[in-house]
Amino acid sequence: MTVEQHQREIETAQHRHARHQGMEAGEVLDTVEKAFAGNPQNMQYFYDLFRDVYCNGIKPHPGKEMIGTMCVQIPDEIIHAAGGVPVRMCNGFYTDEEIGGEFMPAKSCSLVKASLGMLKSETNPYSDGIKVIVNPTTCDQKKKAAGMMREMGYNVYDMELPPVKESEEGREYWRRSVRKFTHEVGKLTGKKVSRKGLKQTIKTVGLAQRAYHRLNNLRKQTPVPILGKDIFMVTNAYFFDDLERWTAATEALCEEIEARVAAGHNAAGRRSPRIVFTGSPPVFPNLKLPLMIEQADGVIVADETCSSNRLLNDMVSVDEWFMYDMVDAIADRYLKSCTCPIFTMNDDRIRRLIELYRSFNADGIVYQAFAGCSVYEMEQRSVAKAMEKEGIPMLYIETDYSPSHSGQLLTRIEAFMESLKARGRHK
Amino acid sequence: MNIKTYIDRIDLRRFRFWFQLATFALLVYGGRLAIDLGNSLPTFSCGYNKKGQAGVCYLLPLQHQLAEPWSQLFSPAGLGVLGGFALFLLWFVVLNKAWCGFICPLGTIQDWITSLRKMLGIRYSTYSDEQFKKLSLIKYVLLLALIFMPLAIGGQFLSHDWATPYCQICPARMIIPVFNGDFSQWMVDFSSTGKMVLTALGMFITGLFLIGSFLKKRFFCFFCPMGAFHYIFSKLSLFKLKKEGSKCTVCGDCYRVCDLQIKPIADNVVKKDILMDDCILCLKCVAACPEQGALRVELLGKTVFESTKDGFVKRMGLEKKE
Amino acid sequence: MDYFAGIDIGSTAVKIVVIDEDRQVIGNKTAATGALVYKNAQTAFMNLLGEIGLERKHISYLTTTGYGRKLFPDADETISEITANAVGAREVGKPFGTIRTIINIGGQDSKGISLDENGNVTNFAMNDRCAAGTGRFLDMAARNLEIEVSDLGPFHFKAQGTPAAVNATCAVFAESEIIGLLGNGHEREEIVQGIHFSIAKRTIRLVKRVGIEELIYFDGGPALNTGLVAALEDELGRRLVIPPLPQITTAYGAAIIGLESHGFEKQERAEVGEAVVVFSGHGCQGCSCG
Repeated sequence: MTVEQHQREIETAQHRHARHQGMEAGEVLDTVEKAFAGNPQNMQYFYDLFRDVYCNGIKPHPGKEMIGTMCVQIPDEIIHAAGGVPVRMCNGFYTDEEIGGEFMPAKSCSLVKASLGMLKSETNPYSDGIKVIVNPTTCDQKKKAAGMMREMGYNVYDMELPPVKESEEGREYWRRSVRKFTHEVGKLTGKKVSRKGLKQTIKTVGLAQRAYHRLNNLRKQTPVPILGKDIFMVTNAYFFDDLERWTAATEALCEEIEARVAAGHNAAGRRSPRIVFTGSPPVFPNLKLPLMIEQADGVIVADETCSSNRLLNDMVSVDEWFMYDMVDAIADRYLKSCTCPIFTMNDDRIRRLIELYRSFNADGIVYQAFAGCSVYEMEQRSVAKAMEKEGIPMLYIETDYSPSHSGQLLTRIEAFMESLKARGRHK
Repeated sequence: MNIKTYIDRIDLRRFRFWFQLATFALLVYGGRLAIDLGNSLPTFSCGYNKKGQAGVCYLLPLQHQLAEPWSQLFSPAGLGVLGGFALFLLWFVVLNKAWCGFICPLGTIQDWITSLRKMLGIRYSTYSDEQFKKLSLIKYVLLLALIFMPLAIGGQFLSHDWATPYCQICPARMIIPVFNGDFSQWMVDFSSTGKMVLTALGMFITGLFLIGSFLKKRFFCFFCPMGAFHYIFSKLSLFKLKKEGSKCTVCGDCYRVCDLQIKPIADNVVKKDILMDDCILCLKCVAACPEQGALRVELLGKTVFESTKDGFVKRMGLEKKE
Repeated sequence: MDYFAGIDIGSTAVKIVVIDEDRQVIGNKTAATGALVYKNAQTAFMNLLGEIGLERKHISYLTTTGYGRKLFPDADETISEITANAVGAREVGKPFGTIRTIINIGGQDSKGISLDENGNVTNFAMNDRCAAGTGRFLDMAARNLEIEVSDLGPFHFKAQGTPAAVNATCAVFAESEIIGLLGNGHEREEIVQGIHFSIAKRTIRLVKRVGIEELIYFDGGPALNTGLVAALEDELGRRLVIPPLPQITTAYGAAIIGLESHGFEKQERAEVGEAVVVFSGHGCQGCSCG
C-alpha cells in the first residue's frame, strides 16, 4: 500500500449514502433538464429545489418538526393545523431500495423497500427531525412496514383506513379514525387543532389544489404546452416543499404556461401520442417510465397516480364551518373518491381512467406496476378488460427501481407509441 | 364574464336566503295586499293563515273535496276536483320540487331555525342508514291517510270529526298564522273524540317540529306528504336535476351537504334523472360539487346551473389569498 | 428507381434487406453481430450493397430496428422490432391471407404480436429476460448433443419413442437436465423432440397473452428449424405460416416502413412546400398511404 493510499480517509457510511443519492438524483435531473428542449423558465424553481435537497444536502425544513406520512390518505390539513409539517415518506431511490432489500423479502414492492431503506440511513433529507410517522393501514406491505419502522426507533402512529369505502360502516370507521387523529396529532405537536386554525389550513391546502388544477387543466389543450415529466416534478415537490412557497411557484408556472397556450406552443412532437399514465407512483428520482415515454415521442397529458393527480385532485367541501363538520369533511375528502387499489372494488378507478382518457383527449394508457405490488398487479386484469371494452389501448409494464432492463422497456414503449401513431393515422 | 359563468359562480346560500325571504313575505303577508294566487299551490302556504295568505296550500281544498259524499264526488259535479288538480299540476311542473327548497314557508322557517343553531355553534345530527330506510316510509303513510281518510268520510265510514285530518296535524297550521299574530290554532279541540285526537297530535307534532328542526336540517321535509305527492309527478316537470355519472368521482360532497341525506346523489353513477323522493331541490349539492358538469339543473332541456370547478373554488373562498 | 434498406440489429445476428420501390427484395444478408456491433453491421451493409451493385447514396431511406437500432447514426428512422416485424409479416403473409398473430423466436428473446385486420399492432408480449425458449437455448442444446443446429430439424422427425420431458425453466439449468437425460440412456432424437416441445409450450403460453387468431405467422431464425415448427403446430393444434426466409421478416418490415415514410415525406413536401421540418427518428410507419 502506498503512502497516499494509507493516508486517505475512507468514506463514512453516511457520506457514501449521500453520494449515491446525489449521483442518482443528479443523473435524473440532468435528463429532466437537459434531454428536452424548451423547458419552461419557471420550472427552474423545482429543478433547483430537488438539486438542493438531494444533491447539495440542504434540509427542506431545518429546525422544524416533521410528521412523516406514508400514504396519500393522511390528512395534510389537520397536520398543518396542529403546527406540524407533513412530509411524504414515499421514496424513489434505487440506492435506498437496495438498502431496504437487505431486510425486506426479495419479492416485495420497490417503493416500500426504498422508503424503509431511506429511513434506515441516517442521511436522508428528514433525518434531523421526524416527530412521528403516520402509517395508514393501506396495502399489506405498508402495514407490516410499521413494525419495521418501530424497530428502527421511529414513533409510528397507525392510522386505520377501511378496506371497503362504499359502506356506511367504512365511512364511519374512517371518520372516527380521523377524529382520533385530530386529537392525537395536537398532543404530539403540543398545539391543539382549533376551529380557526383548521379553517385556515383547509384554505391554504385548497389554494394549493386550485393552483394544481389550474396547471393540470392546461394539459387538455392541443397542442400540449407542458410535458408530463415537469408535472411529475411539480407534484413530487409537493411531498416536502413549504406549502405556500410551492403554491406561489406553481401559480407562477401557470402564468407562463397560459402564455404558452396563447402562443400555440407545443411541448411535444408533431404527432406525439397523448398518454394517460397510471399505476404505481413515479416518485423522484424513479421517473424512468415517464421519461422514457416522453423521450420516445409520447407526451403524458394526464395521470392517475398517488404521486401526482390523486395527491391534489379532490377538494374539501364544508357545509358548516365548525370543528365537527370540517373534520368530517376532511375525512370524506380522503376516503370516498380515493382510487387507490387497496380497496375491495375498483370501479371508481376504471371510471376515472375512462373519464381522463376522454377529457384529456388521450390516445392510450400506460399502466405501471412495481414488481411485487400485489394490488396494482392484480387490478391490471380488470382495468385491461374495461379498457378493451371501451376500445382504449393500454400498455402494461411491470418494473422496479433498477436501472437495468431499460433497453427492453424502451422497446415496449416505442412499439406502443408506434402502434398509437398508426391508429391515429387511421382514425 | 358571460351569463353562464356568472350563474355557475353564484353564492347559492345568499341567493337562496333572499329568494326565500321574498317568497315568505309574499305567501305569509301577501293577503294583506289582496294578492290571491288561488287554492292549488303546491306548497305550504297555509289556508289557516286567514289574515295574510296570498293563496292556499292545495292539500286543504283536496281533503275537503275528497270528503264530499260519494254520490257527489263520483258524479259529473266531481269534475271540479280534477280542475283543482290540473291547476296544482300546472303550478308544480314549472319549478318541480324547488317549491320545497326555495318557496315553502315552512321550509324557510326550518332553514332559519338551522341558522340559529349554527350561530350557537351546535352540531347537527343525522340518521343512520337503518333509521333512514325505516323513517322514509312515513311520508307515504301520511299521504295515503290524507287521501283515504277524507274518502272514508265521504263514504260515511268516518264522521266529519276527522275532516282535513292532515291539516289538523300539520305544524304549518300552528306556526304560520303566528307570523300575523294569530295564535288561535294553538289549542286542543275537545268538542269530539276525533277532533281531540287530531289537534292533540297536531300540538305534539308541532313541538317535535320545533325541536327536530333545531337538531336536524329540514327535519320535517323528510316526513312531508306534499313532498311525496310531488315526487309522483316530478317526471312531468320542466325543471330537472340531472347527473353525469362519468364525471362523478363519488367524493360524496353532495351527500355531505344534503339536508335530507340523500345518498344516491353521490353513489349512483348510472341514473341520469337524479331527483329522489326526499329532494327539495335546494341545489346545495350542485353548489358543493367540485367536478365540472357532474350535476346540473335543466329547464326545458337547457342547462341553467351546473357544478363547476370554478364555482366550487369561489364558493369555498379559495379565490383570493387572505 | 428508389431503393430502401432495413437493418435488423439483433443480439446474435444482423439481418439486412434492400428493396426497390415495388417492394421487391433486391438483396439480403445475415451476419454475426459480434462485439463491435456498429462496425460489423456497417461492414455487412456495405458488403451487401457491393454484392447487389449499389452504393450508399442509392439508398433513399435507411431504417434500423432491433436491439442495436440506435447505433446507426446515419439511419433515417429507428423503429421498434415489434412494429417492423408486424409490417414485414403483413407484407410477406399477403399471398397466404391476413396475418393476425405473429410468433417470433429470436436469438435471445421471443415475442407474440397480435394484429388487426389492417395489420396494425393491437397487443404484444415479450420474453426478453430469460433465454429459455430462444435461439440461444437451441444453440446450447445442439452443442450438448454434439450436433449442428441445422440437424435439429431432421433429428426431430427421426425420433421413435416418447419425447423426453425437458422441464427446466432456465436455459443454463436445462443444460444439466439434457446431460442427465443422455446419461439415463435417452436417445438424442427423443431429447431433441422434448426440447422442441418445451420451447413450443413456453412460447404458446406467452403468445396466449395477446390472443391467438389465424392466420398465425412464425418467424425468427429458429423458424428454419422444421422440428420446432412441427412441435409448435402440434402444441397449438393449428398450421403456421412459415415464410421462405424467416430470419429477415423484421428487416424487410423495416425497409417497407422506410419506403412508406419516404413516400409520406415526399407527399408532405409537396403539400406544404420544402420548408416543412420532417420529424426524423420517430416518423409514422406501417400505414398504407398514397
